Amino acid sequence: MQILSVENLCKKYGAIQALKNVSFTVPKGTVFGILGPNGSGKTTLLGIIVDILKATSGSFRLFDEKPTQQHRRRIGTLLETPNFYHYLSGKKNLVIAAAIKQRGEEDIPGVLKLVDLTQREDSKFSTYSLGMKQRLAIASCLLGNPEVLIFDEPTNGLDPVGIAEIRDLIKRLSHEGKTIIMASHLLDEVEKVCTHVAILKKGELLATGDVNEILVNEDTIEIGAEDINKLTAVIKQMDQYKTVKEEGKFLQLLCPPGKANLEEINNYCFNNGVILNHLQLKKKSLEAKFFELTNK
Amino acid sequence: MISLLKIEWLKVKNYKAFWIFSILYFISILGINYSGYYVNELAIKNMPASTLLLGTPYSFPKVWQTVGWMSSWLLYFPGILFIMMLTNEFNFKTHRQNIIDGWTRFQFITVKIIFALIFCVLATFINFLVALFFGFLSTGSEFSLEGLQNVGYIFIQTVAYITFAMFLAILFRRSGVAIAVFFMYGLIFEMLFMVVMHEVLKLSPAGYFLPLQATDVMLPIPFGNKILYSNAPAKYVLVITSILYIAGYYFFALKKFEGDDL
Repeated sequence: MQILSVENLCKKYGAIQALKNVSFTVPKGTVFGILGPNGSGKTTLLGIIVDILKATSGSFRLFDEKPTQQHRRRIGTLLETPNFYHYLSGKKNLVIAAAIKQRGEEDIPGVLKLVDLTQREDSKFSTYSLGMKQRLAIASCLLGNPEVLIFDEPTNGLDPVGIAEIRDLIKRLSHEGKTIIMASHLLDEVEKVCTHVAILKKGELLATGDVNEILVNEDTIEIGAEDINKLTAVIKQMDQYKTVKEEGKFLQLLCPPGKANLEEINNYCFNNGVILNHLQLKKKSLEAKFFELTNK
Repeated sequence: MISLLKIEWLKVKNYKAFWIFSILYFISILGINYSGYYVNELAIKNMPASTLLLGTPYSFPKVWQTVGWMSSWLLYFPGILFIMMLTNEFNFKTHRQNIIDGWTRFQFITVKIIFALIFCVLATFINFLVALFFGFLSTGSEFSLEGLQNVGYIFIQTVAYITFAMFLAILFRRSGVAIAVFFMYGLIFEMLFMVVMHEVLKLSPAGYFLPLQATDVMLPIPFGNKILYSNAPAKYVLVITSILYIAGYYFFALKKFEGDDL
C-alpha cells in the first residue's frame, strides 16, 4: 500500500511557483525524507497534504484513497511551528487535540512521559521554552498511536540532547512499522534516519528513491599517467572500478566510501606497464553530493 | 455537533477574557437599564407630566422594547469578544492545527457560529429577565405579554451584531483591524450611509436595510413615537432582511475559510 501518492502537484503564490508538477509516492513502513534548501517547497507540499493549503493543480491520495478528514485523524502531524492555545496548559491542549482526533484521553500521560513533559503538564503553554513547545507538538502527534507521522523540521529549537532523542524516537517509531514523512533542510538529519528521500529545489522534484541510491556517498580516486589511453584500458580491467571518468589530464575512479585501495591500483598499473605520475584520493562529502544534485 | 461544541467549550472555559467580557456584558445589561429606569422614575416623580412626552418605557408592555433598545448599545462588547476568540485562533495558528488534527473547515466555522448562537440565547434570556424585573418594579405597571415579540427582536439583533463581528474577524484575521472596522462602521459609517441614502440620494427607506440598521429599526427608541424611523418598513420585512444578512455572513465566512490557504 502507498501511504501517500502525489501526482503533478502545483502551487502558486501569485507570480511565485512554489511547487512545479511534483509527483512521488511514499511506501508503507518507510522513513521518507523531503530534503531541500529553505524555500524549496517542503512545507508547502506538506501543508497541501494536511489540507491547510490549497493546491493550484494536481492531486494526491492518502492510504490509496481520496483524502478526507478521517485520513488526517490517522496521521500525527507537526507542521512548521507548534500550534497550541497559549492560555491553556500543555495537558489541556492535548485534551483538545485528542478530542479532535476522536481519541480518548488515556494516551495523554504516556505521550507526555515520552517527551519528558510530565512535570510541566499543568503549566501554561505560553511559559514553555521553544524546545518544550516542540516536544509538546511531538507528543500531540503521537496521540492515538497513529500509523503515519508527518514531521516538518522536527528538531527545530531542540538542544543537541533533544535532537538525539528525537532521532532515536523516529528510529524507534520506524521499527514499530510506522511510516514517517519528514521534511528537513538538514542533510545529516535525513541521512541518519531516512530510508527514502525526495529532493526539492525551488519547487521542483530533483530526485526521489532509496536514500542509499540518491545520496550515495562515493569516494573519488584521481590517477594520471604519461599515456592516458593505455591507463584507461588497464584500469578498466580492474573489476572494482567500473565507473571511470576522464577529467582533464587525469582519470577519476568512483568507489564506495572507505573501499579505495591506492596501493593496489599503483601495483596493478605498474605490473601492466603503466607508471602513474598522479594518484590521489578525493573524499566526496554528502554535502557535495547534495549540492551536485541541487545545482543541476 | 455536540462533540464539536464540547471541544469549543474546552477552548473557551479557561479563556479569562471570555468570562470577564461575558460577565461585564451581562452586568451591564442590568446596569444600563437600571440607569434608564432610575432616570425615568425620577422624571415621573419630579414632573408627572413627563409621561406625556416620554411615555412609560419601563412599564409593561413597553418595557420589552425599552430593555432591547437600551441593551443594543452594549452589543459591541460581545462583538469584540467574538472577534478576539476568532483572531486568537489565527494568531496562535490553532485554526490550522484543528484542521490538521481532523476537523473540516466547515466544522471549524459552523461550531463557532453555533456557539455564538447559544451565547445569543443566553444574552436574550438575561434581557428577558431584566425586562421582567423592571416591568414589575416600575410604578403603576401591570404584567403583560403584549410586545413580547421584542424579545425575539433582541435575539435577532444580538445574533446580527455578533455574526457581523465574526465575519469581519474571518475577513481581516487581525483583531485590531476587525475591531476598528466593527466600531467605525457600526457607530459612524452606517449612520452616515443612511443619511446620504435618505437625505442626499432620496432613496428612503433603503437606508433601513443596511446590515445593522435593519435590526436597529426593529427595536426603535422607546421614548416618543416613531420620531426617528418615520417610514420604516414592516417588522416582518426587517426580520427577513436581518436573517438574510446573518445567513450571508455565515455563507461568505464559510466560503472564504474553505477556499483560502490557512
